[in-house]
Amino acid sequence: MRTMMCSRLDEEQSGHRTHPHLLLSTIFFFFSPDGHLFQVEYAQEAVKKGSTAVGIRGKDIVVLGVEKKSVAKLQEERTVRKICALDEHVCMAFAGLTADARIVINRARVECQSHRLTVEDPVTVEYITRYIATLKQRYTQSNGRRPFGISALIVGFDYDGTPRLYQTDPSGTYHAWKANAIGRSAKTVREFLEKNYTEEAIAGDNEAIKLAIKALLEVVQSGGKNIELAVIRRNQPLKILESKEIETLVTEIEKEKEEEAEKKKQKKST
Amino acid sequence: MFNNLGTTIMATFFGEVLSVYSRAVEEDDDELDENEEDEQIRRELEEKREVHLHWSPEVSESLKSGNKLQCSNFVLAVGQNASSFLSVHILSTANWDTIGRASAWNERSRAVTGQSCEESACVFYRHKDNPTVLICQVSCYVAEDQLFQWTEKVFDCLQHRELNVTVLSDTSVADYKTADYLGGSSAPFLRSLHTSAFGDQPVCQSLEQPNIVTGLPAAVLNHCQVHRIAAVVYQCYSDVIGPDSVTMETYKPVLTKLGRSIQLDLSPSTDALRKFVRTTDLQSNLYI
Repeated sequence: MRTMMCSRLDEEQSGHRTHPHLLLSTIFFFFSPDGHLFQVEYAQEAVKKGSTAVGIRGKDIVVLGVEKKSVAKLQEERTVRKICALDEHVCMAFAGLTADARIVINRARVECQSHRLTVEDPVTVEYITRYIATLKQRYTQSNGRRPFGISALIVGFDYDGTPRLYQTDPSGTYHAWKANAIGRSAKTVREFLEKNYTEEAIAGDNEAIKLAIKALLEVVQSGGKNIELAVIRRNQPLKILESKEIETLVTEIEKEKEEEAEKKKQKKST
Repeated sequence: MFNNLGTTIMATFFGEVLSVYSRAVEEDDDELDENEEDEQIRRELEEKREVHLHWSPEVSESLKSGNKLQCSNFVLAVGQNASSFLSVHILSTANWDTIGRASAWNERSRAVTGQSCEESACVFYRHKDNPTVLICQVSCYVAEDQLFQWTEKVFDCLQHRELNVTVLSDTSVADYKTADYLGGSSAPFLRSLHTSAFGDQPVCQSLEQPNIVTGLPAAVLNHCQVHRIAAVVYQCYSDVIGPDSVTMETYKPVLTKLGRSIQLDLSPSTDALRKFVRTTDLQSNLYI
C-alpha cells in the first residue's frame, strides 16, 4: 500500500501538472481523518443530478412517480426510462448515472430469475433490495472501482400480499419506507410527504396515486406532461399509466385545490 | 510539483491536497532587455484587451457634455444564473431601455474580431419610468487585468451621490470553505459582503472567513469601498454549473429590497423560465 502511494506521487512529481483530484481518486477506499468516505459522498451528489423520483406505499397499491427526463428531438422516448420492472411483482425507479443503473438493473433481473429457478419462489422485495444493496456496498470497498452513482426506490408485493417500498443509496444501505423521494429535489418532496402522508391520503388506490402526483407537482417544472407513473396492485402486474390518465388526475387535483381555496375564502369571510 | 507561480501542490497520506507556497522561486535573468518588437506586441495586446463602453447616442451625448448618468440604484448581475434571474423577474416587465454595452476581449472570448457577439457582451439597461435605476448583466468572462478597468470606466459614467449598488454573483459551492461538511443539501445558498457605507440590512448572512469574493464583484465592491458608495454583493453558491431555476430562485429575497424602487414580476410564467433555464443535460444522457 505504502509503496503504491509513493510511486504514484513520484509519477505526478516528475511529470506534467496533474489534476489534484487524481490523487484522491486512487485512494478513495481510505477513510478521511474525520471518518468520511468521500467517494461515496460524491456518489450521493451524483444522485442529486438525476431528476426526482417518488415512491408511495399504499394499502393495496404501490406507486412510483418520476419526473421524465426531457428527451432530445431525434431520440426515441421509449428508451429513456426511469422506471423498470425487475420481475412481475417488483419494480424500481432510480436517480443518478444512467449507465450504472443499467448494470444494477440487469444484475437484479438475473438474480430474480435465478431465485425463481433455485427456490421455486419469487423474490421478496426485501431480498432483491438486499441483493442490490450488497452489490453497491461491495463497490465502496474495492480497490480501483468507484461506487455506483445511483439511488433506487424498489416497490412491490411480497408473496403474502404485503406491499413494500425500499430505498437504496450508493453506500449500500437500504431501508423500508412508507413514502420517499430521491434525486434532484428530493428534500422538498420528502417534506411534502411528511406533511401529507396520512391514513386518509392513502385510503384508496386513487388517493395514493394522487398523492404521488401532488408530491411531484411540487417540484416538476411543467406540470403533468413531465410526470411518469407506474403502479403495482396486489396480484397484478406492473402498469405504467398513460399520459391521458395522468392529465385527468392532474386536472382533478387542480380542481380539488381550487375547491379548497374557495372553502378557505368562505370561512374567512363568515 | 511546481508551477510557475512558485506554489507547490502537496498531497498528504490521507489524500488531502494542499497548496503551499514555495520559497524556491526561480530567478529569471534573461528578460531584462525588451526589444522594440516585444514592446509593440505588448502594446497591441493591451489595446486589444482594453475595455470599451458603447453607449446609446443620447447617453453618449450627455456624457460628452460632462453630465454623468443619474443613478440611485445600480444592479449588477455577474454570471449566468444571476443574469437569467434578472431577465426573468425584472427585465421581463418590458419597462427597460437598453442604453449601452461593454466589450472586453480576452483569451476566453469567442474568436470573433470586430463586432462582439450579442450573447457574450455586458449589457446596460435603464428603467423607462424611473431612469435612475440601472441594471447591468455580465455573462461573459472579464479577465483579471480588465476588472479594474471595467469598474473604473463604468463608475466614471455614474454619479456617486446616494448611489446604491447591488451585485448578484454566481459561484460554485466547491469553492466554499467551511469547517463543517456541508453535505450538499444546503446548496444553493446566499452569502453577502457589503461596504462600510452600506446602511441597510443584507437579506442573508455575511460571508464567513476564509471565503473570499473574487472577480468582477470584488473589483466593484473594492471600488465602492474606496469611494464610499453603499454597495452589497450577494454571492450565490450553487452545485449546478449551468442556468438552473432552483439556483435562480435563491436570489428571490434580494427582490424584496429592490422591489421598493423597481417593478418586479414575482411569479414569472413557466414559458419565461424555460427560455432561460436551458436544460443543459438535454443532449447529455449521463444522468437520469
